[in-house]
Amino acid sequence: MTDRLAKNPRLLRWIGFGTLVAMTLFVAGCGALRDDKGRPLTTLNPKGVQSTRINDLVTPVFIVAGIVFVLVEGGVLFMAFRFRRRKNDVDGVDEPVQVHGIPRLEWAWTIAPAILLGVMAIFNVRTLWQLEERDSNAITVEVYGQQWWWEYRYDTNNDGKPDIITANQMVIPAGRQINLVIRSNDVIHSFWIPALNGKKDAVPGRTNNWSLQAAKPGLYQGTCTEFCGLSHAYMRMEVKALTAADYDTWLTEQQKPAEFPTDATPKDPSDDSLELTGYKTFQAQCAQCHQINGLSYDKTLSDGKPDANYGREIDPATGYPKMPLTSGNAPNLTHLMSRNKFAGNLLDLYTEDGNSGDRQVNTSNLGNWLRNPKGLKPMAPDENRGMPTLNLTDDQIHSLVAFLETLK
Amino acid sequence: MAIIEAQRSPLALEAGAVEVKPLGVFARPTGAQTGWKSWLTSVDHKRIGIMYGIGSMFFFFIGGGEALLIRLQLARPNQKLLSAELYNQVFTMHGVTMVFLVVMPMAAAFANYLLPLQIGARDVAFPRLNAFSFWCWLFGALFFNSSWFLGGGADGGWFNYAPNNGVLFSRSHGIDFYAIGLLITGIASLVSAVNLIVTVLNLRAPGLTWFKLPVFTWMTLVTQFLLLFALPVITVALFLLMFDRLFGSNFFNAANGGDPMLWQHLFWIFGHPEVYIMILPSFGIVSEIIPVFSRKPLFGYPFMVVSGIAIGFMGWGVWAHHMFASGIGPMSVMAFSLSTMFIAVPTGVKILNWLATMYGGKLKFSTPMLFSIGLVSMFTIGGLSGVTHAFAPADTQQTDTYYIVAHFHYVLFGGALLGLFGGFYFWWPKIFGYFLNERWGKAHFWVTLIGFNLTFGPMHILGLQGMSRRYFTYSPDQGFDFWNMVATIGAFTIAVGLLMFMTNIWRSYRSFKKEPYEVPADPWDARSLEWMIPSPVPEYNFAEIPEIHELDDFWHRKYGHDEQGRLVRIAKTEDIVQKPGATGIHLPSPSYWPLVLSAGLPFIGYGLIFDYWWAVPGGLITLAGFIGWILEPSTDPEDHHGDHGDHHADHDAIEAGDAQPALVGAVVDDGDAAELPADDAPSQEASGD
Repeated sequence: MTDRLAKNPRLLRWIGFGTLVAMTLFVAGCGALRDDKGRPLTTLNPKGVQSTRINDLVTPVFIVAGIVFVLVEGGVLFMAFRFRRRKNDVDGVDEPVQVHGIPRLEWAWTIAPAILLGVMAIFNVRTLWQLEERDSNAITVEVYGQQWWWEYRYDTNNDGKPDIITANQMVIPAGRQINLVIRSNDVIHSFWIPALNGKKDAVPGRTNNWSLQAAKPGLYQGTCTEFCGLSHAYMRMEVKALTAADYDTWLTEQQKPAEFPTDATPKDPSDDSLELTGYKTFQAQCAQCHQINGLSYDKTLSDGKPDANYGREIDPATGYPKMPLTSGNAPNLTHLMSRNKFAGNLLDLYTEDGNSGDRQVNTSNLGNWLRNPKGLKPMAPDENRGMPTLNLTDDQIHSLVAFLETLK
Repeated sequence: MAIIEAQRSPLALEAGAVEVKPLGVFARPTGAQTGWKSWLTSVDHKRIGIMYGIGSMFFFFIGGGEALLIRLQLARPNQKLLSAELYNQVFTMHGVTMVFLVVMPMAAAFANYLLPLQIGARDVAFPRLNAFSFWCWLFGALFFNSSWFLGGGADGGWFNYAPNNGVLFSRSHGIDFYAIGLLITGIASLVSAVNLIVTVLNLRAPGLTWFKLPVFTWMTLVTQFLLLFALPVITVALFLLMFDRLFGSNFFNAANGGDPMLWQHLFWIFGHPEVYIMILPSFGIVSEIIPVFSRKPLFGYPFMVVSGIAIGFMGWGVWAHHMFASGIGPMSVMAFSLSTMFIAVPTGVKILNWLATMYGGKLKFSTPMLFSIGLVSMFTIGGLSGVTHAFAPADTQQTDTYYIVAHFHYVLFGGALLGLFGGFYFWWPKIFGYFLNERWGKAHFWVTLIGFNLTFGPMHILGLQGMSRRYFTYSPDQGFDFWNMVATIGAFTIAVGLLMFMTNIWRSYRSFKKEPYEVPADPWDARSLEWMIPSPVPEYNFAEIPEIHELDDFWHRKYGHDEQGRLVRIAKTEDIVQKPGATGIHLPSPSYWPLVLSAGLPFIGYGLIFDYWWAVPGGLITLAGFIGWILEPSTDPEDHHGDHGDHHADHDAIEAGDAQPALVGAVVDDGDAAELPADDAPSQEASGD
């Protein structure tokens, strides 16, 4: 083999050239795979502290695996080519040497990978514990998974009661660690923002801790990754990382109760504004499950603080909501329009004009959702899981959408 | 070597004068060898193996069809071919079917057919139980799939996590069918495991000591031990699930003090050894094929055996790597992460030893060899991606994405199934007496290999780019379109490959029927004992049980080495192999009762699900099966025990060549012990006439 190569420099050149091309293609391919344009969920382009640590751990593993891959597959091809039976081989004459094994060699290739793995294990364990580290100034966000959307609770004054309850979009300050306290209200879900960190399950009856830290402000997409039934594919979420100042503004805004359209002289319903009609429809049809801070569960005005157990059946024995929750549990809509999407972060709340960049409320999405939610997202409302079809009239839908638009 | 019949039934008196017919109403079926009825009552391990093979191929088409539906749905974003509800059923049924109704029984087909042949036995230790295993598996499989017609299939994924598997979240009966169906097939696997373990322990040919066993036998034995210990765990889990669903218990209900994590632990304590249950038989097959087509012995036989056993042991200590994201705590994660990393070591040893076997050989690329090399190269990819998610932090990014789907398909398709296909081509002439066409076989291999890589290769990329598993669809703005389309094209390429396999079987059979030819006993110049007997294998397997002196004994009867270690033929194959046409060998009689006993189980299942009244006939049938099993006579009516005159001549002829009474193999009559260990034989020698 080597003789033939030495005698044939052109062949050698071709091999060298081919290897170079292959490696260039490979590196370019890896670069292309890493690209996150149009791939909001990629794990290959970390944007957070934790995800970068994971990436730093796994990249050398991929490289080592790649080398082993090339060696083994190269070995297979080499053996297949070099030791193929040739046409003029005669049975019983051209027979191979009968080697039954070389124990020393076999011990070597048992121990060598074990040592290699042992070295890699050190880095594995180090990263594992690094990911468990928590900053003392971390912000805690409670995360609740349920079929098929995510709820986030912020306790800004540390009184044990949530001051902000929001859904789908989690807002965090960039550059600061967020402690996630992850729970489930029904089945197992998994919280995953690939650009920021790996995933952690939400398991009923348990509390799991996890953390996030976005390096820069931005919007990071996520998705539920533990199979949770019908709309598992549509249980999405996003993390919006803001600057510290913007985050403080957001906190203040979110703690304001909703401002309801009022009618000073409620004599004739036909005089009501569209928003007011929508508000009344909301009280009648939606408030059973959807909370708007400032409107209490008995549909009268309240102090404007979110109610952690809104619409939930409380177990008298424990004082906690009954598990699993399958009804009376829907996203808090107080500041709906501050989010980008709704329905488990599936549908756009806004349309953006391609030329001017103006954002308009996507009334058709909202209207279609109110008309037939099951048509847009598979759910089982007749089993108290998901948004029911309320058979609203077009007028009701029209006014409801107008009302929802006021929930800035 | 003598084959001695035991002439009396166990109830007969020593003198043999009084013939006892224990409740002769349950006469055994005649030992006819033809007709469909003979298959229903057969206790012959070879026929049972063939039936496992046919059954698993049947379900391969069903599971494959489900796979194609999945791929069609995901070919483009926002497709509406399947509803979310139906999609969840289809991927669940695909997974369960492929694991329990395809790979496991296909491996069981090879185990049943080959294991007794490789150890020089006439049948397994308990032939009736063996038939029971098959029928039980078949009825469980049909019961499970009947859910399609009775309200829909299971929709919780094959892993079926609690509490999503509870009635509250899955109201159809699909998951009840899952629980009870897998309980029934579990009985089959458990019985079969005990049966094969006892067979290897007790029925090895004289001289066949542990480290002379063929590697396929070894790997099958390890597999059976894994089954023996893993199945009770899943059985417990399935019972708890059944109680939760049907009788309102709360094992997995967190609200009432249960814990959904209990299901995960139980499932994966079973589920991880299950992975090795599926892959080890194929490792065994490949370890048989590569030496034959390299014309070299398996490199490092002791390492191959011990690494297989090591994988079996270590397979019990890695289950929680399926749960790195579940919140089991960093200490547990660390422990399981480390154990998972190191299970790569024995697997790596196998890959390198196969390569070393090929090194310096004279490789002949017949179809079985192509599939074996395919396994070595494809399993390597699955193994390496497995190492990447042994790193627990990395796994939190990878788990439940298509990266995992890619990984385990490289292990189970690129590993287990390619090996099993190689096994089909290798042993087909031995089993059916005609060759599969080589040209079609090679085409089948290449089409399958290309289709396989097109399907599952892109899934690595999809997973790392964030596509999660078990999504009934995805959106165009997620960037998954291109590779999903490629994967769908690949899946249909695999389907074409499978059709080529079927065409090959049909065409090869037709051309054999047109121009029959005789398949030699040892067409590949192979190494293990099954090649020493005629093709197709006669009903009695071995006319004489060979005495074993070394590893690859059959090969060493044909070949010696010269001083440089090169092969030298020392005997003609024709002179060594056994001739067909031996008579007078007593074999276990067929029986109706395995079929009857297992036929009752699905009815009990329907009873639990729909109406308890169904359980009554089911229970009665099963009870009848038990009673019949116990009371049936030990032999069939055509087996004339009083008259051995016509057998005697052959008997003597065989015995004449044998000067070693210690090697006498006896066949006992109770129908469940085909042969006793050689040492017990002399006391059973009762050739009174």
